[in-house]
Amino acid sequence: MNLSSSKRHWIVLFWGLPMTLWGALFIIAPMALLLGYSFCERDALGQVIWSFTWENYQRVFDPVYLNVFIRSFLFACITTFVCLMVGYPAAYFIARLPKEVRNLYLLLVMIPFWTSFLIRTYAWITLLKSEGVLNAILGALPFSTSLDLLYTPMAVLIGLIYTFLPFMILPIYSCAEKLDLSLVEAGSDLGANPFWNFIHVILPLTWPGIGAGILFVFVPTFGMFAVVDLLGGSQTPLIGNVIQNQFLQARNWPFGSALGVILLVMFFALYAMTHDEEVDER
Amino acid sequence: MKENSVKSMVWSVLLVLLVSLTGCNKKNQESVASTGKALNLFAWSEYVPQKVIDGFTAETGIKVNYETYASNEEMLSKLIAGASHYDLIQPSEYMVEALAKAGKLKPLDREKLSNLQNIGKEYLNLGHDPEQKYSVPWMVGTVGIVVNTEKVKEPIVSFKDLFQEKYKGRIVVLNDSREIVSWGLSTLGINPNEVTDENLALVKPVISKWFPLIKIFDSDSPKTAMLNGDVDLGIVWNGEGAKLYQENKKFQYLLPQEGTHLFIDSLCIPMGSKNPEAAELFMNYILRPEVSKLISDEFPYTNPNLEARKLLSPEQLNNPASYPKGNPKLGIFLDIGKKLEAIDQMVTDLKSSQ
Amino acid sequence: MTLKNHFDPLKCWTWGVLLFLYFPIFVLIAYSFNDSKLNVVWKGFTFQWYHDLWRHEPLMQSARNSLWIASVTTFFSLILGVGSSWFFHRYRHPFQKGLKKMIMIPLALPEILLGIGLLVFFAAIQFPLGFTSVIIAHITFCLPFVILIVLARLSGMDPSIEEAALDLGATPLQAFFRVILPYLGPAVISSALITFTLSLDDFIVTYFTTGPQSQTLPIRIFGMTKVGLNPIINALSTIFILVTGLILIFIFWNKGTLNNRSDK
Repeated sequence: MNLSSSKRHWIVLFWGLPMTLWGALFIIAPMALLLGYSFCERDALGQVIWSFTWENYQRVFDPVYLNVFIRSFLFACITTFVCLMVGYPAAYFIARLPKEVRNLYLLLVMIPFWTSFLIRTYAWITLLKSEGVLNAILGALPFSTSLDLLYTPMAVLIGLIYTFLPFMILPIYSCAEKLDLSLVEAGSDLGANPFWNFIHVILPLTWPGIGAGILFVFVPTFGMFAVVDLLGGSQTPLIGNVIQNQFLQARNWPFGSALGVILLVMFFALYAMTHDEEVDER
Repeated sequence: MKENSVKSMVWSVLLVLLVSLTGCNKKNQESVASTGKALNLFAWSEYVPQKVIDGFTAETGIKVNYETYASNEEMLSKLIAGASHYDLIQPSEYMVEALAKAGKLKPLDREKLSNLQNIGKEYLNLGHDPEQKYSVPWMVGTVGIVVNTEKVKEPIVSFKDLFQEKYKGRIVVLNDSREIVSWGLSTLGINPNEVTDENLALVKPVISKWFPLIKIFDSDSPKTAMLNGDVDLGIVWNGEGAKLYQENKKFQYLLPQEGTHLFIDSLCIPMGSKNPEAAELFMNYILRPEVSKLISDEFPYTNPNLEARKLLSPEQLNNPASYPKGNPKLGIFLDIGKKLEAIDQMVTDLKSSQ
Repeated sequence: MTLKNHFDPLKCWTWGVLLFLYFPIFVLIAYSFNDSKLNVVWKGFTFQWYHDLWRHEPLMQSARNSLWIASVTTFFSLILGVGSSWFFHRYRHPFQKGLKKMIMIPLALPEILLGIGLLVFFAAIQFPLGFTSVIIAHITFCLPFVILIVLARLSGMDPSIEEAALDLGATPLQAFFRVILPYLGPAVISSALITFTLSLDDFIVTYFTTGPQSQTLPIRIFGMTKVGLNPIINALSTIFILVTGLILIFIFWNKGTLNNRSDK
């Protein structure tokens, strides 16, 4: 452009500096501190003492905590998988509806999406408790049975799936909506049966939506502690619960930081393995 | 036309934001200017009646910000987490001792606490605060067993009776590391304050057998799960037990034979307090018999305020959970210093290993 | 009306999903009118809990806190976000890709990591936990959303708009404020809406960074939920769901009319 280069520098600084500082202060520095704290010790009250020890990491790699990591991973995988299986057909169906009806359905999915997950989790407590709505309905049936669901891992899974289902439906919907119908029709014109048509045409075209949906569900599920606390009675802790507990109850910040660092490294490794672009696309 | 409407929408949004900003700014300035007028209270959940707070504000004009926690440890972690300016905290006796030792509490001005004389002698100058320098008793209580006698027919008189295989998945206990370990020590006949490495090694196998039996860990409100019928047995604060008993006589509260914790929850002023005068005003306020009665009405723990007890109804005084009869084995917790960390670690490990 | 009564498995499935999504919500709403504290048996219709809610000072206070935090967060996220988007879009820079990744980090990680990181950070620099710390935390996780939305709009912009302004003698800053910013209008509005809702809704990050005065509504609801079922929460939730629903209906209705207008 017709600007002198020094002037250009100032403009770049003007737009870029605030954001850079912000990121350095509130994203990079906290993560660096977590890393630093993870090598420290604590005193009797729980204040952090600067020192260098591998003890926290030794404890992290104790089978007990490896198990917690594996369990959290499993819970996150199951939640993501169920959300995908349940959400995909619905998202696809909504995307293919005529425009006026489609918006109505979309609205219906979005209302829970924008409602606080605490409120929605709270609703499940009412439903699942022993003397709650679900058992009242079951009891009224001719074969009267009752289920003991609240404060079990099953309740946690139901809560997680319920919380994150809209996060799966919406990205898949937005992808399926842009789907070029002529391609699908071309497929069936060429004699593909619906199943192969789905595998070869529809699935690849909605792949970005599925990817985004998986990310939207998997990432928050992995660190979730509130739903587990409320529906699980804190007796099968996930990694989020253990970390939260280390910071706000057991006052072992160094150990909590070590757990956090491992979680951080896991996610960075995950992103390094998958395509970088995916993060950008979100 | 369309361009214009978009533009006007942008401006109206910005305008609304600006108005809300300036509006709130003014409010914020006010509260900054009058920090002397707000009291940051950090207390147990389910422990401070809104009526008491409202009454205090009405009388003094001091606004109370009330934040809650579910365990002494949670309170401590927020307290040391940094410069959060709490003016009043509500630790149990052993935490008072620990905080005082670490120099985290402000000594109280006894001149300003004229109503302290209402507190019974047996609740003052105890081991955790021998000169009553740092704390004012709020409520006293015990940790005991609640049994839903409709569902559990066998008599239960001790921790050992409670933790049996047949009650698996029917038990709620307090989510409190020190408590849980102390129950284990009691069943072994060890004084809960003698937390040594050897004793912890002894107690670990005992507790690790308990954990799979427990359905819920909850310190906030263990009574809820019992009321909802999700569990039939619990180890709870006596105030919760008393409430359950009020709700339905089928919930029987008893103190375990092995002996149990007598806790003395107190009000203290942490070092970082910006407003100790208001804190002392609040302390003296809740020591008034008629105010203390309000606390008992809503949270039926044992009221250490003897003048207030005179105002309670016979029904309240006869609640076996609030005012136990007989001569149960009770003891306060003392500060165990570094060993608290060992307890935290052990319980975290055990809980995570399920 | 033409009623084609053929069986469509996809449609049934979708209705099943909607039933799953709405059944708990309906139960929640129904019990907000139930004249019983225990939320089990229907004892009669009442507005009692709405009345109590209105007079529940701690909840009202945290509602005001939440609104205030969300407003400030929105304001600063927009300023910071629009500026950085322009930086990413307009200027090439050796560190640009790295910077973009850095600012997007909060999106890609479980929220709890941002929460504990900021808690540790604020504790280390002895920064008091309160409104400011919560707002800083909220801006940090809202920023990526603003940038993504604004960048998407910028990518569709004709670069000649700015060039024309510059050719006419505007300085780059003038060009930005007079030409680019108005063009970004719709993106700014949707970022504002998203930021506002995200901030209003956030629980996890707030949980770690809040102080005594800055209790937000989700924090308060969590505390109350832990203590047990309380019909006041049902009443509050009902209002929440209604407001969310109304806002969304408004947006959809508006979008529809806007679309129609542009179709003409």
